Amino acid sequence: MRIKKYDFNYGRRALMEKAAKGVFATGVLTPLWPLIARGDNLAKAYPDELVSIEAYTKGKVKPGDAITADNVDVVKDLLDPIAYQQVKTMGRRIIIVPPTTDITKMFNHDFLEATLKNKGKSKFDATGNVVYEDGGPWRGGTPFPDPKDGKEALFNITLSWGRHDYSLYAIRDWDIQPSGDEAYHYDFVWAELNTTARADGQVFNGMKDMLRLQSVWFTSPQDTAGTSFLSQWYYDQRKFPELYGYLPAFKRVRQFPTNQRFEPLVPGITFFLSDAWSSGDPLLTWGNFKTIGRQPMLGAISQNWKGSLPNWERPRHGGGKGKTFLDTYMELIPECIVVEAEPVGYPRAPVSKKRVWIDVRNNMYVSSITYDRRGEVWKSFETGSGQFVDGNAVFKDTSGHPAWSWTHVLVHDIQSNRMSILAHVREVKGGYQTTFNMDGDVVNKFFTVQAMQRLGAA
Amino acid sequence: MLSFRYRIASWTMHHRRVVAAVFALTTLGFAGGLRNVELKTIFSDLLPKDDPFVQVFKDHPNFGNPLTVTLMVKRKDGDIYNAETLSKVWQITRDIDLAPGVDHDQILSIATEKARYAEATPFGVDVKPLMEDHAPSTLEEIADFRARVDKSPNARVFLISGDATATLINATFIEQHLDYGEAFKYVHALVQKYSDAHHDVYLAGQPALTGWVYEYESQMFTIFAVTLGALVLSLAFYMRNVVGIVTPIVTSLVAAIWGFGFVGWLKSPIEPLLMVVPLLLVARSFSHCVQFTERYYEIYSHVKDRVKAAEITMGVMMAPSVLGIFTDIVGIFLIAIAPIPAMERFALFCGFWAIWLIPTGVILISLLLAFLPAPRNVDKLIGRGGDSGVHRIIKAVLRSVARLSYGKPARITAAVVVLAGAFAVYSALQIKIGNPVEGSNLLWDKSEFNTAVRQINRHFPGVNTLEIVFEGKGSGDGDRVMHQADTVLTMQKLQSLIEHSPAPPRATLSFADYLMEGNRLFSGGDPRWMPLDPTDTGVNAAAQAIMLGSSAKAFSNVVDFEQVNGTVSLWFKDNKQDTVDAALANARRAVEQVQIDHKNFRIRLGTGTIALQQAMNNVVHEYHWVIIGLLNLVILLGCSFAYRSFVAGFILLIPVNLANFIIQASMHLMHIGLDINSLMVAAIGVGVGIDYGIYLLSRICEEYHGQDRDWGRTLTASLTTTGKAILFTATIMFIGILPWYFLSALKFMADMGLLLVLTMLINMVLALVVLPLLVFLFKPSFVGRKDLLVGEGVDLSAFTASEPELADAL
Repeated sequence: MRIKKYDFNYGRRALMEKAAKGVFATGVLTPLWPLIARGDNLAKAYPDELVSIEAYTKGKVKPGDAITADNVDVVKDLLDPIAYQQVKTMGRRIIIVPPTTDITKMFNHDFLEATLKNKGKSKFDATGNVVYEDGGPWRGGTPFPDPKDGKEALFNITLSWGRHDYSLYAIRDWDIQPSGDEAYHYDFVWAELNTTARADGQVFNGMKDMLRLQSVWFTSPQDTAGTSFLSQWYYDQRKFPELYGYLPAFKRVRQFPTNQRFEPLVPGITFFLSDAWSSGDPLLTWGNFKTIGRQPMLGAISQNWKGSLPNWERPRHGGGKGKTFLDTYMELIPECIVVEAEPVGYPRAPVSKKRVWIDVRNNMYVSSITYDRRGEVWKSFETGSGQFVDGNAVFKDTSGHPAWSWTHVLVHDIQSNRMSILAHVREVKGGYQTTFNMDGDVVNKFFTVQAMQRLGAA
Repeated sequence: MLSFRYRIASWTMHHRRVVAAVFALTTLGFAGGLRNVELKTIFSDLLPKDDPFVQVFKDHPNFGNPLTVTLMVKRKDGDIYNAETLSKVWQITRDIDLAPGVDHDQILSIATEKARYAEATPFGVDVKPLMEDHAPSTLEEIADFRARVDKSPNARVFLISGDATATLINATFIEQHLDYGEAFKYVHALVQKYSDAHHDVYLAGQPALTGWVYEYESQMFTIFAVTLGALVLSLAFYMRNVVGIVTPIVTSLVAAIWGFGFVGWLKSPIEPLLMVVPLLLVARSFSHCVQFTERYYEIYSHVKDRVKAAEITMGVMMAPSVLGIFTDIVGIFLIAIAPIPAMERFALFCGFWAIWLIPTGVILISLLLAFLPAPRNVDKLIGRGGDSGVHRIIKAVLRSVARLSYGKPARITAAVVVLAGAFAVYSALQIKIGNPVEGSNLLWDKSEFNTAVRQINRHFPGVNTLEIVFEGKGSGDGDRVMHQADTVLTMQKLQSLIEHSPAPPRATLSFADYLMEGNRLFSGGDPRWMPLDPTDTGVNAAAQAIMLGSSAKAFSNVVDFEQVNGTVSLWFKDNKQDTVDAALANARRAVEQVQIDHKNFRIRLGTGTIALQQAMNNVVHEYHWVIIGLLNLVILLGCSFAYRSFVAGFILLIPVNLANFIIQASMHLMHIGLDINSLMVAAIGVGVGIDYGIYLLSRICEEYHGQDRDWGRTLTASLTTTGKAILFTATIMFIGILPWYFLSALKFMADMGLLLVLTMLINMVLALVVLPLLVFLFKPSFVGRKDLLVGEGVDLSAFTASEPELADAL
């Protein structure tokens, strides 16, 4: 039983005061990270109304309830503006689940270990990049568990997007028209290999000047199958990644302008490279980082992995044809840091800024919004994540522990009202399956120009 | 026994408080609809809905760039390859991305990433923007930029003019976020900001046109106020008493409330471009009220009882008023036969407004006259004691005019009328359909918009397009018909046939052109690789090549987002009717040659400005004579019934139709074609113009008895009395409508105003000259009858007697 020591608004007031005073320690009642280090209940760091949706809404919403157009105004402050519109006007339904209080369910095992191990050992070098205390590349985990500002908060995401040293995601994509009809449908694979900032603390294959290798290849439909992209990220976050595209029909590699990051990879998708993980560009190509507040938030951070369903695919609902939204489960996140940044390194950017809501407990973003240059809301990038456990169904990572990863992304261009749904599934056409186990020479298999050509030929 | 109309008049006056209450409540009811009144130009509603071209346009609204604005930056003293001009283009491109409602994915200029050039490299293909992350500023950068442009064939045709002095910036808006007024204001401000001594900036495109129309429509309220003010002033000048001024204003205002309120309740938007016609109705209502009131004064001066005078006036004036308004109603409602939604809505609005003129112009006005204090200067108002000043001159002129219609001069007049009529009919029948303007017919030739269109046409393939749509049959989900060999190869064949036709377009463009360019680039850059491999695999490969790393919207000018439908765009040098006819004939021939129906798609001709212009012409061609014919028939039946003689119907219709022919003949001689404006004016001209004839013919019937069946005296008396009223009515119409010609920046409104004024004037002249002439020549027997529905005759001396005697008199 929890004792209600504080008045109802204490938690929200405390978060606002922290933001106003520039106090960046996470937690309200007690600092968060000592609790995490002790493996204690995360809820102890916050008063009731920041942990319990029932308390927050004064009983109007409780776990098990659905947020619909009828009651969304009760939780309007807990949603990003596009998610609110989706529920209010497009028939989206969000199921509320109990809060996560166990930190181990919010990280994959190795990454949490690395975060705890390397806590306090990060610093900025003269170029503005984050390095380990010895000046070498960062050695894994979030470099700033208690981020002091927006830049540190975003570095926590940028240095290791998927939080596994190697990930291969099988992704099913549906691109929905304003009418609710499907315009495009793709199966593709997204692979990430961190060469530095790895949880194992190593530098992969001696590539210390690189941060990651990342590739995407499409497996369906037939006319797109084999089309692939390779992106090579430098460790120096001032540099643009190299970007190559490959067209199997011509057996030609096309090099893209390195700063062309506000265009979709293939037609129909609303997702730009710049959107990936809410931090799709080298961090120092953006600027004017600001922390604009701290707040509780509803986020899809647990129970969205449905391993018990065929191919992990969740049903869809809402929109004009009942296909625009994946069934989504959200819980009350007690404290999100709200960060803004501007694309200062892109003179042609159609974006004026992005706003990112980051859960301070695992420093993973929950959602982000990009604004056009008029300052109007343009696109949302809402991501679900969580531990891959669904009843008896468990999907394990390379350490043998239940995996933690992203489960879905909804990319909604609210201006043209086009939606892309990216679902993290077990397997896509072509036989590629999601895995976090680095099996064999993945570099030559997935991360070179020659590899792209082989993938296209297959 | 009182006749039916006098019984209505008597009942109304005996229950005038109840009737007044009914009017008040009805007016309140209609006023409730005013809050829903919406003045709105719906451009697609200006197109005929059943035309095959319009159906293609509605099925594929994105082809022909209806949501795209085009800015052209023109360097006046050299080419664009200098730091100042290129910097301007860069900045405009950035600024237009800030326009409200713009689609950030669909901005195209030489400064955007979408304008690219490609080079084959040892590793593959390197595709880069023409411009780096800044506008070229040094000589070296400018030279490099120029070299890149040379490697981008599409940029050289569609973004930079052949003489390199001009370049385009295109921005497409998102329909559901586009506020035309707001977007136009923003983009037009850019035109002003970036024009200078060395540069002209021109703005065109459908959103710009809409913006201009909205901008000018806001002027409409001023013109409306000016013309209404002028009408009221002329009324005050003519009547010079409270009753004479208040009565027409209140009556017309109530009719207007009913007219607007009715469409408000129906939630049917009113087309502002046609607002000249409601003003014609206001003028019509004013002039009707003036005649009604003058008759009331006449009767009042005899009976000295304003309620009784109002009752008698109502009884006397009811039939001719209803007949006059009936013809207006028929004229307006028959416009709805033309299957143009804006015209249908307009006919509903104005037709019912005209209907409301019956209760207000017959009953309400009588109530007002009964309630309002009688003027003290009645004797002066009715001219007792002799005419003075202007009235005397007018009467003298009218007497001379009357002289043309009887006796010996009638023969000469008849000969002149026959000759002039024959010439008018012959010339009118030569008139061409269509009235092409380079740009938009809604605006003046010298308007900023039409100037911009001319300039863009001069430097680029232009805006006169014909779109031939390739429509996928939707055989399966994800079936990208535009990626199939049959589709693309048919497009190429069609382009080739049209390009080699006797009157080829300036340029053609289809998805196939982009595919060939993609094929060339990804095959190593050699132009010999441009031809596509004629297989589904080869075409799809080229499609994937150009779509890689792009939004589907980047090609929305040639294929839709789903890549199921596409278009072959043909650009023509102008939109003159000869060009349009040749373009359509060539396109039809070519489409037949490549076959309309294919396994996965069908070819539809077509949309774009050329096809839509033809659609409007088709309506005029098909419906002009149908509407005029039906109008003649209905009016013939109505008037024949009222005068109990078909001869009367013919006598009334001959002058109005002659007026119509004269207008058309004049237009033909001035090289103006028949268009939708003239179609409307013709219908209204017959409907409203015939009123003059009805007034005069009724008076002739009345005077015939009073003037001892002497035709000369009858015609002279009719012209010097009712003729004067007709002159006044025509003046009121003139004041109400002519200012639109001078004040409106919208040529469409101005033209309609001018045509209406001319029609009314010609109708007036013909009513005063030809109608009496016809009566004199035919000497119809109905003139001698005393039981005509429209007879205005009444023995006023009876009203000084007792009630039973009065009943006998009626």
